[in-house]
Amino acid sequence: MHDTKPRPRVLLTKSFIDSHDRAIETIALALRDAAMEVVLIDYEQPEDVVTVALQEDVDVIGISFMSGGQVETTQKIFAELQRRDVADLPVVVGGIIRPFDEPPLREAGVKNIFRGGAPLSEVVATFETLSRTYRGLA
Amino acid sequence: MVGAELGFAAKQLGSPISTLGVTGPPGAGKSSLINALISELLPSYPRIGVLMVDPSSPVSGGAVLGDRVRMAAHSPNRNVFIRSLAARGHLGGVTRATRSVIELLAAAGMDLVIVETVGTGQSEVEVAELTDVKLMVCAPGMGDEMQAIKAGILEVADLLVVNKSDLPDADRTANFLKGMLMHRGHQEKRAAMKVSTVRREGLAELAGAIQSRLADARDGARGLGNRTDEPRNRFARDTADLLAALLRESSDPRIEEIMHKHLSGEVSRRDAACEVLRLLARKTDWLDGVDASGTGLT
Repeated sequence: MHDTKPRPRVLLTKSFIDSHDRAIETIALALRDAAMEVVLIDYEQPEDVVTVALQEDVDVIGISFMSGGQVETTQKIFAELQRRDVADLPVVVGGIIRPFDEPPLREAGVKNIFRGGAPLSEVVATFETLSRTYRGLA
Repeated sequence: MVGAELGFAAKQLGSPISTLGVTGPPGAGKSSLINALISELLPSYPRIGVLMVDPSSPVSGGAVLGDRVRMAAHSPNRNVFIRSLAARGHLGGVTRATRSVIELLAAAGMDLVIVETVGTGQSEVEVAELTDVKLMVCAPGMGDEMQAIKAGILEVADLLVVNKSDLPDADRTANFLKGMLMHRGHQEKRAAMKVSTVRREGLAELAGAIQSRLADARDGARGLGNRTDEPRNRFARDTADLLAALLRESSDPRIEEIMHKHLSGEVSRRDAACEVLRLLARKTDWLDGVDASGTGLT
């Protein structure tokens, strides 16, 4: 196994007070099996997500929401992306996303929303495309 | 190549840096211990870099890099830089790039770099070549005297740490390790220590022991002196990597022929390898067009 091809490097994250980790682990395994390098963290503050994304040089951020804070947290992360000068870093969200969450999430700049039952192949393809686009390969 | 230029530039800066290696079996508590140690060491080392290596999948090549989960508390601290690295098929507990990344962190003004290896077994000693002071972390119940006196990782570690000392069996495990050290007599500089990251016990003592050993390493008072072979080992590994890349990609008919002779049982593995080396020694242009990107050599 040699790293001749750049592999997508992605960050998957959820709040440290949200203990529902089955979904985020399922996605992590699917992305790992699709040859991606997946960094996992539980954030304490939304701003920490951006710090970690920069330290880890990821191409995509995926945020899992199984309890609350969908819109507020996402908006804070986008504000921090802007402040740290990486506003083009793509963000997707997944989990319990209620219909009324969707417009503000889209407005904040979320690229994709995956709810329960979304096919894994679709999730993998989305991360792959976003990563390639962000790296200027597509 | 940007990577190569950056590497040379970082090397020329040559900033001194202290390095601490942390190794041990999976689940021994390496990441949690590092998380606790960062807090203990920050007063003495104002800027700390942490490199954490996790294995790549031998099937897909992907990886789940989950060590950071234990270090969320340090995420907002701008004086702590944490980076996860996937081993990308490199055995030995670290990655090919680890040395270069340490040099970059030194150039970036870090005072201390902590390198966490993949969860290791008995013989992943490569981290010993990269770091000044080595910590071997084990969990209670790792084995008996027999495991403690075997050759390998225990020999190159400076501090043997029994983590999770709140669990039963921790004293027994620590005593096996201490017993092993006693065989060495009064010259022995290694120490076995117990810590509990859950109860925050023994951390200050461990941090103190690490600092005094890092200071010794800086003064060149190394007892084991086990970094003397390092430049030659690295040189040998780099050359072997390049050679392997060449042979994997080569479509030279003579190399194919030697391979087929070996596969059909005409010549032994060793003779086939020797014949390829003789062939390459006569060729002067064989490095032209080799894609070295897979070897991590830039």
